[in-house]
Amino acid sequence: MYDIKPLEEKWKQYNRKKKRPLYISIGLLFLIVLAIYLIKFTRIAPLDSLSNPHNNSVIVTKTQKQHHVQKLLINDSLDEIETNEIQEEIKKVLPVEPIDEIPVLEEPAQTEVGTKTVKKKKVHKKIHLNIIETSSVSAYKDVAKRFYQAHDPDDSLFLAKAYFKKGNYKKAEYWALQTNKVNKNIEESWLIFVKSKVRQGHKNEAIHILESYLKRSHSKEAKNLLQKLKK
Amino acid sequence: MKSRYEAAKNVFIDSIDIDDYIELDSSVSAYRQLQHSIEKPLKMILLFGRPGTGKSILLNRVAEKLKHQKEIYYFDTPATNDKEFFHKLFKVLTKQDLPKNTEVNFSALVNYCKGLRGKREIIILLDEAQMYGPEMMEKIRLISDSRAVKFIVSLHKTEDEDLIAKEHFQSRIWEVIELHNASKEDQAAYIHKKLLKKNLFEIANSLKEKEMKLIHKFTKGNYRECNKLLFTIFEICEYYDKNEPSKINYDRVPQRIIEMAALKLGYIDV
Repeated sequence: MYDIKPLEEKWKQYNRKKKRPLYISIGLLFLIVLAIYLIKFTRIAPLDSLSNPHNNSVIVTKTQKQHHVQKLLINDSLDEIETNEIQEEIKKVLPVEPIDEIPVLEEPAQTEVGTKTVKKKKVHKKIHLNIIETSSVSAYKDVAKRFYQAHDPDDSLFLAKAYFKKGNYKKAEYWALQTNKVNKNIEESWLIFVKSKVRQGHKNEAIHILESYLKRSHSKEAKNLLQKLKK
Repeated sequence: MKSRYEAAKNVFIDSIDIDDYIELDSSVSAYRQLQHSIEKPLKMILLFGRPGTGKSILLNRVAEKLKHQKEIYYFDTPATNDKEFFHKLFKVLTKQDLPKNTEVNFSALVNYCKGLRGKREIIILLDEAQMYGPEMMEKIRLISDSRAVKFIVSLHKTEDEDLIAKEHFQSRIWEVIELHNASKEDQAAYIHKKLLKKNLFEIANSLKEKEMKLIHKFTKGNYRECNKLLFTIFEICEYYDKNEPSKINYDRVPQRIIEMAALKLGYIDV
């Protein structure tokens, strides 16, 4: 064995080359961890602003585990109101456009409590409400259940609008149709029905429906929509 | 002072010595298959496989094991021309040397073989048969048709040799035995058994599962390549043992040395 030294050198080169992907992987992993940390950090920052006393916001929390407790936090006052028979759990945190009233998805009995709470707050101070938590799927189920019992077109229209906004056009179409069955003169419901059809790729059918609707209605918005669809 | 690795290195000098034959599950199965085929009234048997899969050593073992039971002849090196081959065959069949300045008449040889039918059963093991040309193979086939001479033909499995196999054997071979490269387990057993056969227990023990895996990765289970790699590994170990003992771990062959041997043999490159 006379060529051991050159062989050793060759092996050193080989070893360096062999370990290169490992070093690259470690570097990439470090970058990923760093990126995750930075993303987390930037996400936490706006949440911190909620604790700012000058920020007008409402945090609505409903807990299914406790089952009978609803917490409504207004501003930083941490007011708690307990109500009975709440069956949903709020899971998602979704920003909602500022509204004057909190959308009520509970039984009428609870509505009173919720309304009272808001009214009570209004007495203290005029605030700008910003709901940052909204109902989960189970909340929609409750509204649907209520609709099947009472056939209130407001409930079905609410569901049609909500599903359309969420991009669930099949369900939006269904609930718009339910609304039309109860009251065929609700323009908004017809428009959601037609738009849902379009979003699902049934443009011709949507045009046909819209034309039928326009025969007995003079809705400007429907006309505009028809023109848009025909383009 | 003699290094402990010197003996280990010599274990892996490539040879087809019957003493070096290692019984593995796969080789035992191939041997039994071949032995079983020999018992059948077949004219030709094809032993097929890539170089280094153990064809020659298997033929060698068959010749050695059956030499007292059957009339068996092992043609290890192929004849360079027809004349030489038929001289060899003449000697085997007639048990006489061909008189000087005479040549074998092929038709007469075939007739002679036909005359042996029922009287003798001669088995000829033809190693490296890819060296014989198509014309020669045709003649071998005609001799085998006499049913007095059975040929076991060992062929390398390469693209060209596949052609020979197809053209000359496909319709005539009654049995094909294919040998494959060793599995990881078989190769590890092969290395261990080889070392233990020479009482090199400590060295056998210094090749653990991880090292065996690496050796298999480099040699792809080929016995000839395995012998070459092991020889080089122990050659490097021997150098360190004699000159730089601090660089060697006696309990375990370092991965570095296996890779160095692989670099030397060109299995890997920088």
